[in-house]
Amino acid sequence: MKIRGVFIEDTFAEAFTMRVARIVITAHSPRWVRAAALKLTGFATSVIGCKVEAGIERELPASETPDGRPGISILLMTMGKDDLGKRLIERIGQTVLTCPTTACYDGLPEAPDRVGVGSALRFFGDGFQISKVIGGERFWRIPVMEGEFLVQEKFGMLKGVGGGNFLILARAADAALAAAEAAADSLASQPGVILPFPGGVVRSGSKVGSRRSKTMIASTNDAFCPTLRAVTQTALPEEVNSVLEIVINGTDAAAIAAAMKTGIDAACREGVVAISAGNYGGKLGPHHFHLRKIMNGAQG
Amino acid sequence: MSGGLVVRLKASLQQRADFSEVLAGPWTTLSARELAQRPIYLERDGRVPLGDLFEVRGEPNGRVHFAGDLERVDRLGAGLSQGDVIVEGSVGSEAGVGMAGGSLDIDGDAGSRAGAAPLGFKRGMTGGELIVRGSTGAEAGAAMRRGLLVIQRSAGSRTGLGMIAGNVIVLGAAGPETGLWSKRGSVVALGRIIPPATYSYACTYQPIHLRLMLTRLRVRYGLPIHRRHLTGLYRRYSGDLAELGKGEILQWTAK
Repeated sequence: MKIRGVFIEDTFAEAFTMRVARIVITAHSPRWVRAAALKLTGFATSVIGCKVEAGIERELPASETPDGRPGISILLMTMGKDDLGKRLIERIGQTVLTCPTTACYDGLPEAPDRVGVGSALRFFGDGFQISKVIGGERFWRIPVMEGEFLVQEKFGMLKGVGGGNFLILARAADAALAAAEAAADSLASQPGVILPFPGGVVRSGSKVGSRRSKTMIASTNDAFCPTLRAVTQTALPEEVNSVLEIVINGTDAAAIAAAMKTGIDAACREGVVAISAGNYGGKLGPHHFHLRKIMNGAQG
Repeated sequence: MSGGLVVRLKASLQQRADFSEVLAGPWTTLSARELAQRPIYLERDGRVPLGDLFEVRGEPNGRVHFAGDLERVDRLGAGLSQGDVIVEGSVGSEAGVGMAGGSLDIDGDAGSRAGAAPLGFKRGMTGGELIVRGSTGAEAGAAMRRGLLVIQRSAGSRTGLGMIAGNVIVLGAAGPETGLWSKRGSVVALGRIIPPATYSYACTYQPIHLRLMLTRLRVRYGLPIHRRHLTGLYRRYSGDLAELGKGEILQWTAK
């Protein structure tokens, strides 16, 4: 299969079940929404080192937010259910509560599984906090020097999917970067997915384990490193000199499949040789996204 | 689709009627015939079935509509815990006393002690939403513990007297001594209010939770909440400082 001359390898991305929460932050202006969102999603690329994976899902116009102010929705994901609550409390407490003018709401109101967030953060109010039930949902008003921080008591959580991915194999680094940027841009406001790595792009794809250390969970994916072509069992076609990866997490497999289709289509451009994907032989993750199946019908 | 039950007064009431037991406890699955058998208590004639004085029609769907001149009906919606109750026109005293859930929407005035504690009880409303689209008499929301009381026009004296928690929102003018002796809870005044002397001014700010609360009232009940109410500044008074002092009056500043 080829799309605009780019070969689509007959392989699949292997992804894992994760827990996901959707956080809606609002503030007085887009400047402060973004300030809080960037802090909250900072250092959240991979659960391997960050305990959490998070990213901005999309910007919300005032008409779509609970309090009628500008907002941003964020997906925050962990491997375990217990972890999710802890990470939400840590991150919202340190990055949203602290940010001028913000309020913080649950973005998964239909999710039956709920975790206490405002119910823990309220203690910052030192007994001066006030609870309000609005439309059956409890919120906490926590007094702060600027005024009040409003946070919802409980946040919904769902089983999501983490680790959807595709690899852009290009003739040169510039072409790989341009294709990756195009792919990331195409997914900037796609509901239900986030790209947790910097700018939505990963240059350091990993394999499971390490040749040298038993304690390392992951190490460089040498089969896709162009500089190691001569000394390792390479997976790269001869003309490939740079590889970048797009990692996609989402609320469900369908959202990831849709995003992969959009992203791959955007990445198929001049200078790209092939699109591949990262997997572990299908033995670790229950979600398999076959590139050709996903792209079937996308060639027009 | 069923429009719910309709309870219509057959002839003008000649004496006051106590509706304490009409909607107390589960009622949303009752048929028209079953609801008609619930008792009301007449001031002179004592206990009679609702159906003797009211025509009850329709199919149950969690909603009941009261029609007719109900100014002599007291305690309508007392102990309400479920469903939506809509009342055409004004009602007598103690509407919604001891409400625990559901909504009671009165398209007129309500007499004294709407949403308050029944006599002999410490707590008023413990849940639900009581909307009075007209004015209320004295002591509406007295001792309320939870829930929401909205008064579209003017609120009588001592509204929210001794509130334990919950929310009273007055779109018109609030009567004297509103919020007196409250322990917790919020009185939101979009119109004129003079906080009791035992309240103390804290600051002028924009409470974000009011955007949610007022927007919901505009959407769900079609109340005349304007953008200026959502985006405006509010003067916050803490009180009652003669009590626990964890309550507040939020007074819209029209700025």
